[in-house]
Amino acid sequence: MRDLGIEAAKITRALWYVDKQACIFCGEEQGVICPACTTEYLHPELGRCRGCGKLILSEKIHCLDCEAGKGPKHLDQITAWGHYAGGLKEFIQEIKFKAHPRRLMEIARPFSDWAISQLPVVDGVVAVPMHASRMAERGFNQAEVISSVLHWQLGLPILCGVERIASTSSQVSLSRQERLHNLKGAFEVQQPEKIKGRSIWLVDDVTTTGATLEAVAETLRESGVQAIYGLCLAAGLEKKLVPLCD
Amino acid sequence: MQFFLTLKEDGNVSFCPFQVMDKLNSDVLSYLSKPLSLETIQIVQERLYRRKLVNFLHKGPKRRDRKLEILKIIRALGWDTQDFTWQELSPASVAGCSDRLDEKRYYEVRNMFNRLVLGRQLSCSDLRSLARELKLEEREIIRLAHSSVEQGSAQWVPAVKSHGRGWQCQRCGETNLEVWPGLQGMAATCQSCESIGPSTSLDVFFRDQRPLLDGPSEVLFRPHWTLTEAQRLASEQVLEFIKDASEETALLWAACGAGKTEVCFPSAAWALERGKSVLFAAPRQDVVKDIEPRLRRDFPDYPLQVLTGTTLVKFQGGGMVLATTHQVLRFWRAFDVVFMDEMDAFPYHGSRALEWGLKHALRPNGKIIYMTATPSPEGLVGVQQGKIRLIRLPARHHRTPLPVPSWERSRHPLESYSCADLWASQIDTLRAAGPVLVFVPKISWIKPWIKCFQRRFPDWCVDGSYSSDLGRSAKLERLRQGEFDLFVSTTILERGITLSRIQVVVLAADHPVFDERALVQMAGRVGRTRESPEGKVVFVSQRRTPAMKTAVLWIKEQNRHAMELGLINADSAGG
Repeated sequence: MRDLGIEAAKITRALWYVDKQACIFCGEEQGVICPACTTEYLHPELGRCRGCGKLILSEKIHCLDCEAGKGPKHLDQITAWGHYAGGLKEFIQEIKFKAHPRRLMEIARPFSDWAISQLPVVDGVVAVPMHASRMAERGFNQAEVISSVLHWQLGLPILCGVERIASTSSQVSLSRQERLHNLKGAFEVQQPEKIKGRSIWLVDDVTTTGATLEAVAETLRESGVQAIYGLCLAAGLEKKLVPLCD
Repeated sequence: MQFFLTLKEDGNVSFCPFQVMDKLNSDVLSYLSKPLSLETIQIVQERLYRRKLVNFLHKGPKRRDRKLEILKIIRALGWDTQDFTWQELSPASVAGCSDRLDEKRYYEVRNMFNRLVLGRQLSCSDLRSLARELKLEEREIIRLAHSSVEQGSAQWVPAVKSHGRGWQCQRCGETNLEVWPGLQGMAATCQSCESIGPSTSLDVFFRDQRPLLDGPSEVLFRPHWTLTEAQRLASEQVLEFIKDASEETALLWAACGAGKTEVCFPSAAWALERGKSVLFAAPRQDVVKDIEPRLRRDFPDYPLQVLTGTTLVKFQGGGMVLATTHQVLRFWRAFDVVFMDEMDAFPYHGSRALEWGLKHALRPNGKIIYMTATPSPEGLVGVQQGKIRLIRLPARHHRTPLPVPSWERSRHPLESYSCADLWASQIDTLRAAGPVLVFVPKISWIKPWIKCFQRRFPDWCVDGSYSSDLGRSAKLERLRQGEFDLFVSTTILERGITLSRIQVVVLAADHPVFDERALVQMAGRVGRTRESPEGKVVFVSQRRTPAMKTAVLWIKEQNRHAMELGLINADSAGG
């Protein structure tokens, strides 16, 4: 009964007052993502490396690593919404480590709108899978929650079939080579017929070297997926750019 | 964290965080191949126990297949049991467990672990940080924790439990949680206490159930002060309350600057000598930092645990703990005596989570003493209803009454930042007695008022500060040195600061942010030292609010009470 009262009060309040939208990243009441945070974390003025999704100068196509041939090879393109730092980093960490998957709903609209403006329309979205033991511990896979957000906003079907069969250690402290090695044989496609000949968005929360996306993409390619576009919430910033942004 | 359900020889169900068992689990016959949440296992245990009772009473079929029975219950709880298999345990697999530390190191680490987790309630992330402090692997610390549980000196509990139709956080008692669809049905995350680490229905807490002290011990208590008459009276009453088994809660209502913390020291020493653990809690770090040197000085050599959000060593040993109320959430039924300082201050006041945490840090039959100069309405209601014992400390050590605020009417609204009114000329007189501290209700008022005072008193050194001011600590240090003639501040200086010869002006004392407690605290900044036991407090406002009247009433009442007990000098009791 008390809950009912609270709900009724909420509805009445919504009818009577216009709620000011507070910024997801900084809490200022200036829209879902305030202009300052847009510049600070989403960097619309910068380009994204087609090879690994890193934020680079807009006139460039690839970052230095990818130009040197060190980047992922099995994806058609990778792109990331913003820079993995400050408010965006806190937002992602809060979702993963403080167990707030619901907060992803807050970025549903702006993120989906941005994604569809950056990548070609595809047959469906595939989330980077999580190992069953990690999944049981955390209770949710943030990549799957992001896929579900994209599905609801854009109507793209969710495609299943790829699984993580090996529980790997965290990638955080590893080098580029070690990361690729760490993930070898970690993924497996269970039902190739579901994804054969399709084009997909491969979704994850964060990418740094693109190693995880690459490992999943490799498995998907072997199963006959035609086009793979990597899509992440956040990525790193080209090192050469850093002084410019300070 | 999840656990493997184990089936013992006697048909009872238990659990273990690992698949590979060691000798602790020698009576385990088999275990389920997939880990489950602790709450699920506890429900299985409970239902099996209930069935056993029913079977016993109704003489039902004696032996049913336990394994099938268990799987059926788990299935009913919404788990997909298709891939679940029973793994039988052979002696060979037990002996084959090799990931143990070598024997000597293991005992060393276990002793250390047992000493550091006394009375604690720790989340998995807390255990991980303990592992880092002890230079252990996460797996090793979980093993140590689980062996404590197996020996019955600790418990694993679900961090968030389903509670009727909703959920309840087991660390802070919050029932309004964020619910989300998880892999195994609905899950919930607590937002009330997440500042000290996440608490979700998928997590567990490790609760150590041993008391902090294992028996009476010798305590070296060397006070570096002598109690005044007023303090001695209050101190005796506090000790009497702690000895008396009939009441659980007391309120020490002290005049601002009367030295209420020291009043509790003799009782703390008495308790420690008898093997009773003691907690000094305060809502904020600055209060903790203020008390720490005083405790260390008067209890030399006694191991004191000091815990705030910024302490580097999170795990310490000792029967006396000084902590912020947030850190208290990391203890469970650990303390026999709790001294709660500044009970009416932010963030403790009005936080159900911190209040719940403090109550649950108390051992059964433990005693709690709230200390304040400005009791909250709930505290006073408790006193009136006879649930809380009231102990008064109405006088300061220098036997001079508390300065009673006077009221100056402002003709113009104070938002006009004008010193043209009559009250401004009073500031000159105040300055003659000492530096002037001006309180304003809003941060946005600080700069305009500094400018206004600078115009009016061009020769004076005028400045101000507020909570997010970057130069705050440097300015406060200069203020302590007496470098300013006039200092404008928000309520950040309302508590816990003693400034010699200071005089107080409260601008817009009728503003709603200034309740009677804030007004009493601000007035309490005046006359705290022996060198300058007197001073003036001026409330400036357009009207007189009930809060202002109550504040004056409280101060006058303290003085009257002190007068009756002969605790202040009659010649100076003019107020």
